[in-house]
Amino acid sequence: MNYGDDVALEQARSGNSDAFRVLVERHATAVFRLAYRMTGNETDAEDMVQETFLRAWREIRRFDGRASFGTWLHRICANRTVDFLRARNRWQPALSPMTEDEEHDPFRGLASDEPSPERAARSAEAGAMLEPALAALSEIERTAFVLRHYEGLAIDEVASALGVQPGAARHSIFRAVRKLRRALECHA
Amino acid sequence: MTHLTEEDLILAYYNEPGADLAHAHLAACPECRASAESLARALSVCNQWTVPERSPEFAHDVWTRLVPQLYLQPQPKPRWRGLRIWTAATGFAVLLLAVFFAGRYSRPSTPPVMAGLSDQARERILAIAVADHLDRVQILLTEIANTSGANPETFASDRVRAEDLVQEGRLMRQSLAAQGETPTTNFLDEVERFMIEAAHTPDAPPAAPGRVSADAVRELRDRIESGSLLFKVRIVESNLRNEEQKL
Repeated sequence: MNYGDDVALEQARSGNSDAFRVLVERHATAVFRLAYRMTGNETDAEDMVQETFLRAWREIRRFDGRASFGTWLHRICANRTVDFLRARNRWQPALSPMTEDEEHDPFRGLASDEPSPERAARSAEAGAMLEPALAALSEIERTAFVLRHYEGLAIDEVASALGVQPGAARHSIFRAVRKLRRALECHA
Repeated sequence: MTHLTEEDLILAYYNEPGADLAHAHLAACPECRASAESLARALSVCNQWTVPERSPEFAHDVWTRLVPQLYLQPQPKPRWRGLRIWTAATGFAVLLLAVFFAGRYSRPSTPPVMAGLSDQARERILAIAVADHLDRVQILLTEIANTSGANPETFASDRVRAEDLVQEGRLMRQSLAAQGETPTTNFLDEVERFMIEAAHTPDAPPAAPGRVSADAVRELRDRIESGSLLFKVRIVESNLRNEEQKL
């Protein structure tokens, strides 16, 4: 039997933590991607991943299956991260300088599948351009943009994730794209 | 020829429903096509920004860190315990308001008795009480927004909580009105109207205690989404918390 999300969900709903583990291990990286785009740094993104799954465990009985489990997790993560960013009231840049410990860690990079140097360089360059542009967006604009542009959610789904009307989500995306376009046009 | 607006270009870029007309226009209009290409070039910078790769052990590590927390906060939370917390929270809010009113109305006759609480302290107490009230509203709205209405037991307790919030909200409104806080008062009025509806959600036929109509729950969900109620609650609560810090 294919141990899909549906089967794992059914068992996790009845309190089976092993089944929930399957869901965590299957979706953790996707949730991290969203959290990283929203927070701009790895440490905060990892914290948001933990919070997302903790909330998901506590609320799993309420999951009604109208959206996929992945979409539901995205919604939890987006909401938790918006609250977190509001509380912190600022966006941490993605390309924060390495700490002294990180700089001298001989194993740095060995544990992960590092992208090619060219790709890493392009990403670093893009990150450096994007950093001030993203920092100029409000939390809602940034979240709406990340959900639409990177996660590929339709505007209606973005609205549902943010708990706003589709019109409001659409305008947040418009404002975000307009601001990013002005900031990035000279680099493109 | 009427050219496409920037909004049209953005909808076309993301291929949103209704972008067909814009695509047809782009095929025929070099000027708009150039704008669309310029937009795509600018956004292509975003596509080069990659997320740092995680190690293959990442998901396992997430689980390892998560496990102890799962058992600190067990998933099946008894409903009576939740209700008791809500009752305690309501009681605390009432106590705060009593302090507020006592200070406000007894001060002119016997100033030294309430000298311990300044106007600023009373305002701060009220801001905290209203922000906490909105926090509870937000939790309930989120739960309703994410419920299918299929679980009658769950919604029966939601109705009780909504009723508590109606009572609590009325006290808040009176206190704010006494302070002349019109915008927040009006917003609490909007929240109260929703909570009254939630508290009186009709039973599903055949009527059974606690069983609510899935249609009624759907209507509540639609109301939350159409009026951006959850979003507004977050904003007002956040403003109050900021205000509270300044006081």
